[in-house]
Amino acid sequence: MWKYDNLKHRELPLSKDSSNLFLKIMISISVFLFAVTLAGVLAINSMLINWNSSILGSLTVQIIPVNSSDRQKARDETIVQEQRAVAMLEAMPETIKVTPLNEDQLQHLLRPWLGDDVNIDDLPTPRLIDVKIKPRAEINFKVLAEKLASVAPQASLDNHKLWLNKLINFAAGIKMLALAVLLLVICVTSGAIFYTTQTSLGLHRDVIEILHLMGAKDTYIAQQYAGRTAILGFIGGIIGVALAVPVIFLIAHMAGQIEGGIINEAHLSRGAWTAITSLPIFSALIAMQTAYYTVKKTLERMM
Amino acid sequence: MFEVNEKEPVIEMEKVCIRYGQGPEILTNIDLTLERGSFHFLTGKSGAGKTSLLSMMYLAQKPSRGRVSVFGNNVNFTNRNALSMFRRRIGVVFQDFRLLEHVSAFDNVALPLRVCGMGEKEIRKRVTELLKWVEIDRSTSAITSTLSGGEKQRVAIARAVINRPDVLLADEPTGNVDNDIAPKLMKLFIELNKLGTTVVIATHNENLIRDFKYPCIHLKNHGLRIIKAGERGSDVEI
Repeated sequence: MWKYDNLKHRELPLSKDSSNLFLKIMISISVFLFAVTLAGVLAINSMLINWNSSILGSLTVQIIPVNSSDRQKARDETIVQEQRAVAMLEAMPETIKVTPLNEDQLQHLLRPWLGDDVNIDDLPTPRLIDVKIKPRAEINFKVLAEKLASVAPQASLDNHKLWLNKLINFAAGIKMLALAVLLLVICVTSGAIFYTTQTSLGLHRDVIEILHLMGAKDTYIAQQYAGRTAILGFIGGIIGVALAVPVIFLIAHMAGQIEGGIINEAHLSRGAWTAITSLPIFSALIAMQTAYYTVKKTLERMM
Repeated sequence: MFEVNEKEPVIEMEKVCIRYGQGPEILTNIDLTLERGSFHFLTGKSGAGKTSLLSMMYLAQKPSRGRVSVFGNNVNFTNRNALSMFRRRIGVVFQDFRLLEHVSAFDNVALPLRVCGMGEKEIRKRVTELLKWVEIDRSTSAITSTLSGGEKQRVAIARAVINRPDVLLADEPTGNVDNDIAPKLMKLFIELNKLGTTVVIATHNENLIRDFKYPCIHLKNHGLRIIKAGERGSDVEI
C-alpha cells in the first residue's frame, strides 16, 4: 500500500546515484521520440477520419467537355449538361447539398499543375459538381451513373472509394508502424529503468540490509525508489516534450506547404496537444511503476 | 497467518547448524530456548560463532539445518512481511554499529519508528528524549559519519531500544564507550529486562559478566553450553 510519508523519507541516498543523469537523458530522448511519433499517429488518425467521412459523405460528378470544333458551342453544351446533372442530383432525397464548382474554384484546383498564368477559359476543362450525401444514405452508384448518363451523357461519377481506400490502407499501415514504435520506446525506457534500478540496489545493499533489519518491508524501500524515479521521469519528460514541440511545429509547417489537400487534412486537435503535453506525467508514472516492481521483485530474493 | 504467540518462548532453536557456502559448520546441533523476560550473556572466543548465532536470532539469516522459531513461528515457513513484523520487535546493537552514515543521529534513531509508520510528532518526542538520555543531545543533527566511535555506539543502542522491543540482542554494546557510561547502558538493559524484554548480550568483558549475575550462553567447539551465574569453571574462556 502506498503511503505518502514513506515517499518523504530518504534513508536511501538515491539522489547521489551516478545513474540519475543517464536515466534523465534516456527518458528525455524516449519522451522526445514518443511525442513526435504520437503526434504523427494522431495526425494520421485525424486524416483517416477526414478521408473516411469523405468516402461516406460525398461524391464528385465530372462533366467531361463536349468535343466539338466550335469551342463556344461545345462549352455551352457542357454547361447545359452540368445544369441538368445538378437539377437531377438536387431532386434526389439522399443528397444534402449539390455545388457546381465555379471558374475560380476550378482555376484554384488546376493552379498547382498549370501555374498562375494560364487562362482556363482557353482550355477544354471538365466541369465538377461536389455532392454532399446524407449520413448513412444508401446509394446504388451503378443506377445513379446510368441516370446521370441519361440527362448528361458526358457525366462521369467518382465516389472516391477506389483511390481513397488505397490511401487509407497505406495510412493505416503507417499508423500501426508508429504504434509499434511507441511500444518499443516504452519497452526500451522500462528496460533502462529496470537495469539502473537493479544497479542501484546493488550499490545500496548495505543500507537496504539495515532497513530490513529495522523491520522495513519491501514496499517501504520500493516506495523510496519509486518516488525518486518518478521525479527523474517527470523532469526527463518535460525536457523531452520541450524539445519535441518545436519539431512537431516544424514538421507541421513543412507538411502544410505540400499543396493538394491530402496532407493538409492531418492536423492536431486540442485533445491531441493535451495528450502530448501530458507526456511528462505519463513518463513519471511508467518510471515509478517500473522502479517499484523492479525493487519488489529483486528484494524478494533476499532474506 | 503469522502471529506473535505470547505463550511460546521468544526464540527457540532445535538441532540448528550454520555454515557459509561449502565451508565447515560454524555451529552444530544447537538447542537453545530463550524464555520471555530472560537475560543472558553470550560468550565464547573470537570465531566461536557468537555473531552467527545472533544473526539467526535477529532474522538476518536462516539456519543451514534445524529449526529456528521466533515468537512461536518457524522462520523457514514465515513469509517476508511477517519476518519484517517480527524484526520490528527485535532490537539489535551491532558490533560494527551498522548505522546509516549519511543521515543524522536523530534520523538513525528514528528509523525503527518510521518503518512502523509512527507519526513524526511522536517520533520527535521519543527520539529527543532518548538521545538526551544517552548524552547525544548536542549532536543530534550531526551527520553520523562525523560522530566518534563512542557516540556511534550510543546512537546504535538508542536505535535498538527506541521501539521498546520484546527482544534486545547486543553484540559488544560497551566495547567503545567510556567506563562511566558502560554501567549506565547496562542499567538501561536491566530496566528493559525488568519490563519484560528478553536480553542477550554478546561480550568479552569479564567485569560485566562478574558484576551482573546472569547466566551465560557459552559457545565452544561448534557447540553451546548454558552456564548459570556463579558456576563458571576454569575451562570457560571468553
